[in-house]
Amino acid sequence: MKRLIASLTALNILVALLCLIVGSSGVFGVDVFLRVVSGVAKESDVSIFFGVRLPRLILAMIVGASLSASGCAMQALFRNPLAEPYVLGVASGASVGAAIVYVLGIATMSNILISAFVFALLTSFAVYKLGSLARFRDQNYAILLAGIAIATTLSGLTSLLIYFSAQSMHKVVFWIMGSLSNPRWEEVYFSLPIAFFGILFLLLNRWNFNALLLGEEHAMAVGLNVENFRRYLIGTVSLLTASAVAVSGVIGFVGIIVPHTMRLMVGEDYRKLLPATILFSTIFMPLVDLASRISTAGEIPVGALTALLGGPFFLYLLWRR
Amino acid sequence: MKLRVENVTVKIESKEILKDVTLEVESGEIVALLGPNGSGKSTLLRTIFGILKPVKGVVFFDGKRIDKIEVISKNVAYLPQESSDTNLTVLDVVLLGRTPHLSGFKLPKSYDLEISKKALEEVGMIEFAGRKFSELSGGEKQKVLLARVFAQQPKLMLLDEPTAHLDISAQIEIMEIVRRKVNSGCSALVAMHDINLASMFSDKIIMVKNGKVVYVGEAEEVLTEESIREVYGADVRIKKVGRSVYVIPKTRVKKNGKIVHIICGGGSGRDLIYLLSEEGYSISAGVLNVLDSDWEAVIDVGGEFVEEAPFSPISEEAHEKNLELIEKADVVVLSNLVVGKGNIKNLIAAKIAAELGKLIVVEKTRFESRNFFGKQAEKIYEEIVKRARVVGSEREALYEIRKVLG
Repeated sequence: MKRLIASLTALNILVALLCLIVGSSGVFGVDVFLRVVSGVAKESDVSIFFGVRLPRLILAMIVGASLSASGCAMQALFRNPLAEPYVLGVASGASVGAAIVYVLGIATMSNILISAFVFALLTSFAVYKLGSLARFRDQNYAILLAGIAIATTLSGLTSLLIYFSAQSMHKVVFWIMGSLSNPRWEEVYFSLPIAFFGILFLLLNRWNFNALLLGEEHAMAVGLNVENFRRYLIGTVSLLTASAVAVSGVIGFVGIIVPHTMRLMVGEDYRKLLPATILFSTIFMPLVDLASRISTAGEIPVGALTALLGGPFFLYLLWRR
Repeated sequence: MKLRVENVTVKIESKEILKDVTLEVESGEIVALLGPNGSGKSTLLRTIFGILKPVKGVVFFDGKRIDKIEVISKNVAYLPQESSDTNLTVLDVVLLGRTPHLSGFKLPKSYDLEISKKALEEVGMIEFAGRKFSELSGGEKQKVLLARVFAQQPKLMLLDEPTAHLDISAQIEIMEIVRRKVNSGCSALVAMHDINLASMFSDKIIMVKNGKVVYVGEAEEVLTEESIREVYGADVRIKKVGRSVYVIPKTRVKKNGKIVHIICGGGSGRDLIYLLSEEGYSISAGVLNVLDSDWEAVIDVGGEFVEEAPFSPISEEAHEKNLELIEKADVVVLSNLVVGKGNIKNLIAAKIAAELGKLIVVEKTRFESRNFFGKQAEKIYEEIVKRARVVGSEREALYEIRKVLG
């Protein structure tokens, strides 16, 4: 385990350096990189480095870690390997929020961010409430069903909004696909504190996730107040995913691919799985993002790329069993 | 730890699942909770553990009320009936039992690891410590979950059907492990389905029906044909085996109105009596000595019979009565009985039945080998065989009776 952590950390540093050096505007030589770091570089290099590549790297890490840690947590809560951060309806809520801003023609960066974030939170709150009010013996099941029902409704609504958004149609669609292009420091300032405290909460509770794995009755049997834990957990995961989606759009499958890859390596014990997942996500997400921005002349949405990876990964999980 | 449940009523969605339940478990005691599906056994255990809140009544642990599950779980361990599968290792599953003793966000320490390993040793599963829980058999999983319960260092265990879905050897093993733990100073309230297992391993039995406690006491006094009929709605026979009680189902068959009289004794007619009774025939038998096992059997199936005092020869009066029953019967069967001075009249009765043309003789062993009366009896038997159908077993007798009576 210690060796895994050490090698993941080393890979993190390597990938981070790679993402700072390589970009669509070309490769920085070692000399340029050193000059930028020591503050004596050309202004254009400095602005590429500090204005684009660094915030983009940090955002990719934040988004990757938030989605992966949330996915990992949801898989324990629902005891379902296919559970992901978006089961609470966060993605479809955020999409509606962003689309509304585009339709109203007030699509500034901060408006999109705030609207997506607020709509995402409202949606997951509604899903949780509807799920817990339902007369189901298994509350998790009710929440999952409520999530599906609300997500379906909202994606219909999003389609309508896209239809009415006229010229900005492609912008809405592109936003929903998920992308880290045009990174802003404001987005970092917004999402970093949420990610920090949210992930800290999940890490502090990693023992309780183990307790959930045998079922909720067993978790209660060892003294876990499941009702409260579920409430805090869903709140935390909603915040984490809402903030990730607000800054990046809907990037899918990260919350499944990363935790499951780590599960294959370290097993089911959340004391190891959760830290490993977080460390791997901050390698995986920047790397996929790097691929998305250098693979073509323009840039392909990173969400499309993760989806391309996600499908085969699902099949792999299916065949492995 | 002493548990006292006082006048507890529990409602789930406005339906009363438990009604005014009062019970006690003394320390060092295994109390079995018996009752049909849906009688409220699981609800009772969950209520005691604090998962469900009663609308009325109180649960006392050593005289104290405890409400929070976090606190209850420090002294009381609860093993739910169903569990999900997990790829956690066996040791990690057992370690979960330490959760109530960890505070805040703390993780288990080496001290907790030691306790968990000891718990695995107690259930004989230490060599499985590194295996994945999901790869174990049903019985092994249950033992690991018991180890988790032990790792909790409980003073009271609430076990919800710990032997469900297990094979007989695993059932006994689990109950023996529980018994050992209780002997070392714990107490246990165990919901069970298997009445026999419950009577074997419990100090006290509590029977519940529709959310109410209906019988409380030791196995022998509580487990009766009446109580089981009342609680489960099942007709059974009860046999006492050593300290415990054995329950055997009575098959419910419609009587077909035909009477078969069986001339037997000394246990030679037992199997026939049960076999024919289960097939729907009304049974009569005679002449039997009181306390003979054939005598018990015919009482068991509710048949008519003629009796004689233990170890006494058949009186003329009893013989007459026997002949009356033979007269009434549609078919008469002579069992593979031993003939001596005391019961020679039964052989004479059989001869009369043969003359009436309604006798079937079961001859499993040669008559000479069971004749202690002498030549005279042999002659009578020869006469009988001439006029009767002779079969080699009880089952063949049944086929013969079916043929005769249609």
